[in-house]
Amino acid sequence: MSPPAPSLWRRLRAALRPPRTLSVTRTGRTYLVVTLGVGLGALNTGNNLLYLVLGLLLSVIILSGVLSERCLRGLTVRRLGTDGAFAGEPFAFRWNVSRRRGHAFALTLAEVGTPLSGEGSVGWLPAGVEHMVRATLTAPRRGPVKLTGVRVTTTWPLGLFAKTRVFPLEGTLLVYPRRGFACGDPLDAAVGHVGEASSPQRLDGTGDVAGLRELGEAEDARRVHWVKSASAGKLLKVEREREERRTFMLAIRPGLEAESLERRCEEVAAQAHRLLEAGHEVGVELPRQRLRAGAGNGQERRILRALAWLGFEEEGQEEAA
Amino acid sequence: MKRHRLRLMLRDASIGAAFASMAVSGQIAIWAVGLFLLALVLALLGRRPFARSPRLTALLLVPLGGALYLSVAAGQMDLVVAACSFAAFVAGQRMLSLPGPGTDGQVLLAGLLMIAGGAALSGELLFAVFLVGFAVLASLALGMTVVEAAVPEGEQLPVRAVVRPLAMGLVFAVAGAVAFFIFFPRLNWNMGARRASPGLGTATSGFSDTVRLGGTGTLKSNPRVVLRARLSPDPGNEHLGAYWVGRTYDTFDGQEWTTIGNPSGRRGTRVTLRPGAESLVHQRIELLPAYGSRTLIALETPARLGNAVAHTPAGSRRTSLQELGGDELRFMVQALGYTYEVYSVPPGTNTVPGKLQPLERDQLLALPDALDPRVEQLARRVAGNEKEPLAAANKLVSFLQREYAYTLELGGEMEDPVANFLFERREGHCEHFATALTLMLRSLGFQARLATGFFGGERVADEYIVRAGDAHAWTHVLVPGTGFVTVDATPPAFRTSQSQPWLESLVTLYEAIEARWRTSVVDYTFRDQLNFVRGMVRPPKQRGAEEQRTRLPPARAWAMALVVGAVVYAAWSFLSRRGARTPVHQATRFVDAVERQLARAGIRPLEGETLEDVSARLAREAHPLAPTLAPLTRRYLEARFGQRPLLSGESARLLQELERGLAAWKSSQPPIARAS
Repeated sequence: MSPPAPSLWRRLRAALRPPRTLSVTRTGRTYLVVTLGVGLGALNTGNNLLYLVLGLLLSVIILSGVLSERCLRGLTVRRLGTDGAFAGEPFAFRWNVSRRRGHAFALTLAEVGTPLSGEGSVGWLPAGVEHMVRATLTAPRRGPVKLTGVRVTTTWPLGLFAKTRVFPLEGTLLVYPRRGFACGDPLDAAVGHVGEASSPQRLDGTGDVAGLRELGEAEDARRVHWVKSASAGKLLKVEREREERRTFMLAIRPGLEAESLERRCEEVAAQAHRLLEAGHEVGVELPRQRLRAGAGNGQERRILRALAWLGFEEEGQEEAA
Repeated sequence: MKRHRLRLMLRDASIGAAFASMAVSGQIAIWAVGLFLLALVLALLGRRPFARSPRLTALLLVPLGGALYLSVAAGQMDLVVAACSFAAFVAGQRMLSLPGPGTDGQVLLAGLLMIAGGAALSGELLFAVFLVGFAVLASLALGMTVVEAAVPEGEQLPVRAVVRPLAMGLVFAVAGAVAFFIFFPRLNWNMGARRASPGLGTATSGFSDTVRLGGTGTLKSNPRVVLRARLSPDPGNEHLGAYWVGRTYDTFDGQEWTTIGNPSGRRGTRVTLRPGAESLVHQRIELLPAYGSRTLIALETPARLGNAVAHTPAGSRRTSLQELGGDELRFMVQALGYTYEVYSVPPGTNTVPGKLQPLERDQLLALPDALDPRVEQLARRVAGNEKEPLAAANKLVSFLQREYAYTLELGGEMEDPVANFLFERREGHCEHFATALTLMLRSLGFQARLATGFFGGERVADEYIVRAGDAHAWTHVLVPGTGFVTVDATPPAFRTSQSQPWLESLVTLYEAIEARWRTSVVDYTFRDQLNFVRGMVRPPKQRGAEEQRTRLPPARAWAMALVVGAVVYAAWSFLSRRGARTPVHQATRFVDAVERQLARAGIRPLEGETLEDVSARLAREAHPLAPTLAPLTRRYLEARFGQRPLLSGESARLLQELERGLAAWKSSQPPIARAS
C-alpha cells in the first residue's frame, strides 16, 4: 500500500522552503557589516547614492541566494563508496553527481552526520554529465559507520554564503582495524610443521600423499584431487607428508573491551596480513564467531570484516534484519 | 600563477573602478591619486613588490595615515575624503602583496568602502558608471575565486561557463537595485547629499574686478557648462539667446575696465536691486563648479535675488549676499557651487536706475585721458547728429558689425587696444566690440557702460544651460525715461560659445544624461516615490472628465499588471528553455567531425555501427586506415565516458592527423580505369 500523497499545502511549502541550511562565510560577514553600515549611512544622511549602493548590495545578497539555489536544484548524488577503509588512515571515497539541466559550480561533498573527516569538491558540473567526485576521507575508529546522507555545499556565486543541501542516502561503511606492525608472533601453528623445504612459499608441500580431506572455504583449488572428488561427489584436497604451509588460528579472547580490544584487533589484523602474505592459512577465533583457516586476499578481507564487526554485532544484526 | 592572472586582473580593475568612483569628485589629493595609480599599474602588470614582506610594507600605511590625519586636523581635507583616501592606500598595499583568499577579501572590502565614500562625496553621473563597473568586475573576480578554489590544480578553469550565469545574474541584481532604489521609502529629505563637487576639471570662468583688453581668447572655445537655470514662465525655446548679466563696469583707463562705485556694504539673504514689474521672470539658477566665482548671474535685468545656498565639500548651507558696485552681487561664502532664485524684469520694461550716485552717473560719460581723437571722429562720422541715444547706439552697432571682423586671434598686450582694434587690426572679440561701442557712445555724450556675463542658453530637458564659452561682454546705454538698454556690437554669430560643434554636442549629450541622472537619482525624494506609485495605480485626472467613484483600480493599472505578468512569464520561459537545452558534449562534436571526414573519404558506417565498431571492423579487415583511426576512437571513448576531457587544441590536432591519413590512403589507391 503506497503512502498517501502529500497535500497541496505541504507540497507548496516544500517548494517554497526547500530544506537548506545557510551559513555566512568570513567574507560574507564582512560584507553584511558593510551593507549594514551603508544602510545606516543612507538612512542617516538621506543620500540617494548611498540608497543606490545599498540597493546593489542587497540585490547581490539575493542574487547569491538565487544562484546558489539554482546550483543545488536538480542534483542527483550517488554514493560509490570505497574499496577499503582502515581506521586512522586516509582512504579514497567516491560519489557520482549529475544534473539534468543547468550548470553547477563549486560543489563540496561530504558525508553528513558521521565521524568521517574530509570532503570532495567539483569546480564545474555541466548538465548531462555524470561526474565522479573523489575525496580522501579518514575514519577515526574501527567498526561500521552508518551513513545517512551526503551533504552538498556550494559557496557559488560570490563566496558570501555557504548553502547546503543534504541528500538522504542510507548506507554502511565498514572501517577495518587500524593497520600497523604486528608486535608479537602468533602462537604455534595449529596444523602442519616445517618440512624439508625451508620456504613456505612452496604451497604444494612435498613427499607422498598422506591423505585426502574436504576442501575448505578459501583453500587453494589447485590441490583438489579431481578424480577422487568426482567419485566422492565433493571437493577433496590432497594432503602430503610434508606440508610447508601451516595453518594458524588467531584468537581474540572474550572479555576484552575498549582500547584493549582495539589493540588486539589491530594486532590480529596485522598478524593475519603478514601470515597470509607469507602463504600460510589463517583463521580467526572470535568470541562469537569462528572463521575457518584459509589463504589469499579473499581470506584477508574476510578476516578484516570479521574484526571490523567485532563488538558491533547488534548493529550488524539490525542491518541484516 | 597564470591560472590566477585573470582573476587578479579583474580584482585589480574593480578596485580601479572603485577608486575612480571616488576620484571623480575631484576632492582626493593629487599625491594620493598618484600613489594609488602607481600601485594599480604595478598590480595590473603583475608586479607585486610587497609579496615578500607584506607586514613590513604595511607599516608604510602609518605615515600615509598620519599625513591624512594632519591634513584633516589642519582643515585642509574633509574627514570623509581622508577616510576614503586611506581605504585606497590599504587597497593599494594589499594589491601589491601576495594574492590569496584573505588578501582578495581585504582588497574588495576596501573597494566597497571606496564606493560608499564615492557615493558620499559626489553626485556625478560618472559615479554610476564606475559603480556598475565595480559591481561587474568584483563579482566576476569573486566568482572566479569561488570556482578556482574547487577546481583541482592543473585543471583548466571554466571561465566562459562562469561568466555567463554571473553576467545574467548581475543584470538582475542591477534591476533589483533600481527597484529597491525606487520603492524603498525615504525617511528623510536628502539632506546629506553633496550637491557639488569640483569634478575632474578646474574652474574655467568667473569674474574679476577688472576687464583688461588683450590676452587670449581660449575661454570662448570652452564648452563646459557653468550654469543651469529653470525659468518660469518657461519660454520653451531651444535657444534662449538671452543676456545673463554678472556685473557692469563704468571706468576705462585705456587698458582695462573698472568700477568706480564703492561697495554699498549691504548684506542680506534677499536683495532688491530695482522695483519689480507685474510680470517678472522667475529663475532657479544653479552655478556649477566650473563657474569658479562668487558673483551671481541672472537674466537681464535682475530685480530681486535671494534664497542662496552654497554647496561646499562639507555639505550645503544657506548664504547671504553682498551688494557691490556695478550692480554686482556676491555670495558671502566661498563654495564649489551655488543655487539661488532670481526675479528678473523682462526686456522692454522701465528700469530707471534710481540708486545711482552722482559720481557713478558722471562716470558713465568718462573717457580715458589718452583716448585717440580718431575714436570720437569716427563716432561722429557714423552717428551724425543723432540726439537719441538708442538710435545712435544702433547706428554704431550696425557700423561695427559691418566693418569689423570677429576673431579670437589676439595681438597680445598693446598700448592702446581700442585704437588698435578700430584703426589697425579691425578685428577683435566681444570685449573689443563692447568697449569700442561704449567709448564711442560716451564720446558723443551718451551715458553708457560695459556689462559682462554670458549670452545664450541652450535647452536640455526642461532647463537651460550656459557654457563657459558663452562668456560675453556688451554695452548698456542709458536711455532717459527707460533706463539702461542693452546694445551689443558683437556680430550675432559670435556671441555664443565658439567651441567645436562635435564637442558641444558631446557635452550636451552628457548634460542631458546627467540631468536625467540628477532628477531621477540624486534628487529622488519621497514625493517622487509617491508620484511614481500613484502614476502606476491612479493615472492623473483629466480635466473635464467625469468624476467616477470606484474602488477598483483603473484599466491602466490592470493593463500594467498584465504587461508586467507577461514580461515575467516571458523571461521565465526564456530562461527555462535556455536551461533545458542540453549542451552538446565536446566529445560528441569531435566524433561527428570524425564521421564526416570518414564519410567524405567513402568510409561509411553500416546500419547501427558506432565509431568503435567501425574502428574494430577496419582492424579486422587490416585496413590501412585502422592504425590511424584506433587512437582517435580510444581518445573519443576516454573523453566521452572516461572523465578525461579533450585538451585545448587536441581535437583539431587529431582531426588533422586523420585528414593526413585519409589523404595518404587516397593517394595510394590505384586509379580507376575508364573505358574510352
